[in-house]
Amino acid sequence: MNWSQIISLVSAGNYMEVEKILQDYPYIVDMADHLREQKLKVIANLDTYVKRTMDSVEKLGGHAYLAKDKDEARKIIGDLVGEKKTVVFSKTNVAYEIGLREFLQERNNEVWETDLGEYLVQISRGWPTHIVAPALDMTREEAAKAVKKIDPSINENSKIEDIVAAVRKFLMSKYVKADVGITGANAVAADSGSVALVENEGNIRIDTVMPPMHIAVTGIDKIVPTMRDALDEVMVQAAYAGIFPPTYINVTSGPSSTADIELRRVSPATGPKDFHLVLIDNGRLEASKNEDLKEALLCIKCGRCYFSCPIYRTLGKEWISTKSPYNGPTGVMWNYITNKDPWPASYCVHSGGCKEVCPMKINIPEVIKYIKFIGSKQVGK
Amino acid sequence: MDEDYVKKQEATIRNVLVKNLMESYVPFPLDKKIATQWAYAINVPRGGSTIIYTSYMYQMANVFKSYEKYVPTFGSLGSSKIIASIGAKLIKPKEEDIKRFNAILQNIYRIVKRSNENIGYLYEEEPYSGSLLYELGFMDEFKEYGKKVFELFKQHKVSNIITIDPHTTNTLTNLKKYIGFDIPFTPYLNLIKEAKGTGKFVLHDSCLYSRFLGMYESIRTTIRSAGVELVEDPTVTGKGAGFCCGGPVGPLNDKLSNEIAKARAETLTSVNKDVLVACPLCYANLSEFCNVKDIAEVIA
Repeated sequence: MNWSQIISLVSAGNYMEVEKILQDYPYIVDMADHLREQKLKVIANLDTYVKRTMDSVEKLGGHAYLAKDKDEARKIIGDLVGEKKTVVFSKTNVAYEIGLREFLQERNNEVWETDLGEYLVQISRGWPTHIVAPALDMTREEAAKAVKKIDPSINENSKIEDIVAAVRKFLMSKYVKADVGITGANAVAADSGSVALVENEGNIRIDTVMPPMHIAVTGIDKIVPTMRDALDEVMVQAAYAGIFPPTYINVTSGPSSTADIELRRVSPATGPKDFHLVLIDNGRLEASKNEDLKEALLCIKCGRCYFSCPIYRTLGKEWISTKSPYNGPTGVMWNYITNKDPWPASYCVHSGGCKEVCPMKINIPEVIKYIKFIGSKQVGK
Repeated sequence: MDEDYVKKQEATIRNVLVKNLMESYVPFPLDKKIATQWAYAINVPRGGSTIIYTSYMYQMANVFKSYEKYVPTFGSLGSSKIIASIGAKLIKPKEEDIKRFNAILQNIYRIVKRSNENIGYLYEEEPYSGSLLYELGFMDEFKEYGKKVFELFKQHKVSNIITIDPHTTNTLTNLKKYIGFDIPFTPYLNLIKEAKGTGKFVLHDSCLYSRFLGMYESIRTTIRSAGVELVEDPTVTGKGAGFCCGGPVGPLNDKLSNEIAKARAETLTSVNKDVLVACPLCYANLSEFCNVKDIAEVIA
């Protein structure tokens, strides 16, 4: 199958699957509407919510940091990780945004992506095609060819189940010696300092509990007012990504703890002894103060808008390429927020499908039109 | 994407567009005799308080489609009246296209005349709406030109406008938002009463009508009420699943525009062999890859 065939099939499948999920679980739409209102409150007072979140994390015995840009974020995490460590990554687009994996590798760390799709992208030396499904453009044969590098028993005729088992076996050997688990966050609750993550593979669960140190790295846009909102966000994200119910929802509130003796909560227990939350600004705070751009911060990264976009469906990852892990309609907004790059907006054909399918009801074409305008002011007269 | 090419192309288009629009109210040299002959042929009254507004969209759709190809010519021609008249001869629609858009425009006029006897037309004095400026993001120029268009309509004492394509309708909607354009306007599709039509089609939605101007349902009702059968597939014609014809990216990248059109035509024809469109640009883009009719070609 070529890209055009893959994306047509996947887009139609996602559209119908999400429609069915919303019929079967009608409360998801109400949750999405409520979440939008809650996220708008954060955008209106981002500074305050960042501080509240960091205070909550510290109260839990965790450590919180605010990095203003990519360099600062890499330095903070680089110092936490150190050198010659084994690091397991769950899929995190923010890590791509700041070039974290390569940075840690350059400091003599062994770093492994543990999400299957992301792992395939890593061993193929590729770039994620989709925000939720990074290896969307890979066929079974291509995945087998990549996995053969770590398991010679895999060949072009191997079944998908065998390819998955080979990766699982490989990653298990890394989990047991991992020093640090690095995850992103689907949402961070300001009131509790809890990080919420949704997944299906079980890798995030292991990344967050098995290594002695858990670092969650995410954008300040992922902050929501309460723990309830954080759980709403993971549910809504999973539903609109087209996989519901999700296999796992993980909530991490500081380092591991127990209150089993005399009901006194002590830390650590079985899981990590250190928990660090690294919040990244990298253009988000500025965007929150820009009336034309701020709606973009509502995005929960479900990736549904990609499938509705004629340009993404034609160009795939070549549209925004390696300039950003964010592609498709939301990627045009996010590449601008994080890189100040207006040019991918020029290709927007304002088909409007993106705003129709967005759970956060972001008027994506309107934001993109603003970015186009910024670009148009930069072309020579 | 080739960022450098996009920057260069945007700069050229803006210069050509703005120069032509500010001097002559059309985006490039255009033979207005050809563009207005549909109205001369059926004696549409000149001017009047209610007008049908073509914005030259049906007349220029094929030129818009090849905009990228023509841009160097448009640029080198400049926009002085003499040179422009020579340019208009060079960039001439094909005879079959002229015949087709004349028939469509005349049919639309007859349809709307049923709801209002006194509908005029500005003929050669009709301005292009400025859609391209808006759609390419040239907002400062769009507002500046929009004020000229607004003034021109006021000079002609126009108090009611009937639009016939989605791009112009969307542009007036935005002129209202950005510069206070307060002349009421209605798309002709909303004025259709007792029309008759035949055939079985899959509707390729105009992105602007269906996802920006709230007409997704009403267009279907209008078409079905006329007796035309529409075949639906939610993954192809659903409001959130519909797909652009590729037209809007044509000025910047003709190849990409055609790839989108081809992909859209393939999915549409997997639902039904005959495709119906509501926009002249959708027709220009899709007709190379499938059998397409405009709504105004199947209902009367």
